Amino acid sequence: MSIKKDLSIDYLGVKCENPFFLSSSPVGSNYEMVAKAFEAGWGGVFYKTIGIFVADECSPRFDHVKKEGTPWLGFKNMEQISDKPTEVNFENMYKLKKAYPEKIMVASIMGSNEEEWRKLAKMCEEVGVDLIEGNFSCPQMTSHAMGSDVGSNPDLVRAYSKAVAETTKIPFIAKMTPNITDMVIPAIAAIEGGAKGISAINTLKSITNIDLENMTAMPVVNGKSSISGYSGAAVKPVALRFIAQMLQNEKLKNVPMSGIGGIETWRDCLEFLLLGCRNLQVTTSVMQYGYRVVEDMSNGLMHWMDERGYDRLDDFVGKALGNIIPAEELDRDFKVLPDFNYDKCVGCGRCYVSCYDGGHQAIDWDGEKRRPVLNEKCVGCHLCLNVCPVTDCITPGEIQWKDGREKKEIALKKIYE
Amino acid sequence: MSKVNKPTYVSDAVVGLTPRTAIEEASRCLLCHDAPCSKSCPAGTDPAKFIRSIRFRNVKGAAETIRENNVLGGSCARVCPYDRLCEEACSRCGIDRPIEIGKLQRYAIEQEEALNMTVLKAPEAKKEAKVACIGSGPASLACAAKLAMEGYEVTIYEAEEKAGGVLTYGIAPARLPQHVVDHDIETVKNLGVKFIFNTKVGKDITMEALQEDYAAIFIGTGLWQEKLPDIPGVQLPGVMAAADFLKKARKSEGTYNPGRRVIVIGGGNVAMDCAVSAKLLGAEKVDIYYRRTIEEAPADMAEFQYVLSLGISITTNFAPAEVIGTEKVEAMKFKGRDGESEAKVAVDTIVFAIGQGAEDMGELAPFALNEKGLIIIDDGCKTNIDGIFAGGDIALGGKTVVEAVASGKAAAAEMMNYLAKKEVN
Repeated sequence: MSIKKDLSIDYLGVKCENPFFLSSSPVGSNYEMVAKAFEAGWGGVFYKTIGIFVADECSPRFDHVKKEGTPWLGFKNMEQISDKPTEVNFENMYKLKKAYPEKIMVASIMGSNEEEWRKLAKMCEEVGVDLIEGNFSCPQMTSHAMGSDVGSNPDLVRAYSKAVAETTKIPFIAKMTPNITDMVIPAIAAIEGGAKGISAINTLKSITNIDLENMTAMPVVNGKSSISGYSGAAVKPVALRFIAQMLQNEKLKNVPMSGIGGIETWRDCLEFLLLGCRNLQVTTSVMQYGYRVVEDMSNGLMHWMDERGYDRLDDFVGKALGNIIPAEELDRDFKVLPDFNYDKCVGCGRCYVSCYDGGHQAIDWDGEKRRPVLNEKCVGCHLCLNVCPVTDCITPGEIQWKDGREKKEIALKKIYE
Repeated sequence: MSKVNKPTYVSDAVVGLTPRTAIEEASRCLLCHDAPCSKSCPAGTDPAKFIRSIRFRNVKGAAETIRENNVLGGSCARVCPYDRLCEEACSRCGIDRPIEIGKLQRYAIEQEEALNMTVLKAPEAKKEAKVACIGSGPASLACAAKLAMEGYEVTIYEAEEKAGGVLTYGIAPARLPQHVVDHDIETVKNLGVKFIFNTKVGKDITMEALQEDYAAIFIGTGLWQEKLPDIPGVQLPGVMAAADFLKKARKSEGTYNPGRRVIVIGGGNVAMDCAVSAKLLGAEKVDIYYRRTIEEAPADMAEFQYVLSLGISITTNFAPAEVIGTEKVEAMKFKGRDGESEAKVAVDTIVFAIGQGAEDMGELAPFALNEKGLIIIDDGCKTNIDGIFAGGDIALGGKTVVEAVASGKAAAAEMMNYLAKKEVN
């Protein structure tokens, strides 16, 4: 019998059956797509951004980054906001909410001035969406009055958030751009303006590859290309970082956070939840694999909860946040030496190569036996452990204390998959 | 010199996957839209779904999918003829080679065991009707598990001292280790299915007695009647039928001495298993003789390759003509398919793996039988006797484990229909 656990969560006063939402993007841009996603198990959708502006798109518009045999490490897209008439989109949202009243409909909107923001907010209210997200972050708009140029300007973020908050009581979520040094500043501006939630991150401005045929970036549009948004697994670390920084800020710590950035598996979902996100948004993995990815997100998360004895998401949301501390506060009293399991070792010597060329020359190579031998130069950096291709071959071993530092119980990571 | 494999009788013929190699292999999967692998599994194990779960780091979900669809997922992972089922259908064949679906299935089930998962649960509330399954091979186990999951109390009657039928007694442990079979059977036991061992229905207990106690009965006794050809000398000591040979080998747990020179006759997977067992039990010289060509042989190519890797020879187009010996087997004479060639080979043990027959099922109950002695069933696995269903080899003839599972599952569904109707009346 498939495992069953309660994945429901309150997000901005809205009861969501689960935290898995499609983010505002091509994956939720018409009735049929969203309906199929709901049937597949998604808890809600941030419907593809609607503006007064209707996008005129280029072709082709996507590219991806691969390393060795793995494609789609990162994904570049040049699509702007919806290319459908504004009324059609609002009608779709209205019909979807009617057909799927239990699912959560979030309208993503983008105006180019206060008046447009108010107008769009008003339309959202008329349609009866559950939540509104303000897209302050699309990096490939053809107008500088919209998108990430707005998101990196705290005054505009505050003003537009205010325009929406004054127009409607529907909770407003401000979607942040990562193309900025400190996301806390626009996030606070949004809250000051009246936003109730923050979502992060939108895509990173990028050039994924240079095309050697046309001497331009990818994708090639009539011999030319543009800088545009980068997403997928590669941006997850950036997303987690911005989210942690915002949720650790005194003014933002209680703001309901929606996490976005490279979510593919239940593990990714869990990581965002553990930092304190109450909602998760996904696009790139859906573009690569389809709506069905939600099945293993849901089932895998339930298994993990079962394993740990959790009954609801609130039992563990934010559990990791407090353990992420400034570098100056880390315990630097000890080093953990690597332990080499010679029975598991296959003798590839990668640990030796990396330690010599990228570490501290702390591994000697026994050429006879083709095995690594740790010497006294080891600093406990664990580059060897990270590069070893064999499971459980190099593991954390002996703890050595620096001179004059007091020995104590320390928490170690023991299981490396 | 060719490098010949030298494993022991009970060592795994194939190394399993680790968490990293499993993800690597699962990442090769193309995640097809209408996955042909899933369509080609007789038992409906749904490889596309469990491979996707492994890829997305949800190995527990993968184990769940396998178990829910195929209660003998562990055993099937070892003995399924993938190369002509799911793996042959795999879209990746159009690029290079198929996903190693069998290995991924084995990995998920190994993780299920390692992580102490109990995937299948029987409901607390039990149905009134009680059901008996005769035989504890794959068809019966699959049938019993499905019924138990729906709340029926099921009792399995087994003539041997251990459960599993062909899984326990008929396959070389290098291919199907006993602990894998036992783990699958444990899953069935955990559903509350009762096992009564050393009890042969028709001998130790009558069919009539069962019919009185149980509202429906499933016959899944398999094919265990030894088949020996009608040639001179076949009665000599040293001549054995495959089922008998494999059972002796399995029961001995590797201590059985098959003799120095062994000839196995046949071209199916059972013949390959006999040859492998003989070799791993210590026979110096093991030769397979088959009366037709390899192309015509029913054994899977993977099995032929494995046999060859152990240094076993395969001679085709020679049929057994005479067993020579005075007190025991000394040599075997073969006649060529061309009508001219002949061969005489010195030997200590001859194993005939030329198919197994049905025991006389008419003695059990007045079943309608076909010319091979198999129980005739309709599309719903019903026999001619009300309330008695049959499946697996005893109804279908010698098929694969996964087909037996499919047949047991199908029979269980029909039995539930039958019992539901009976309750209404």
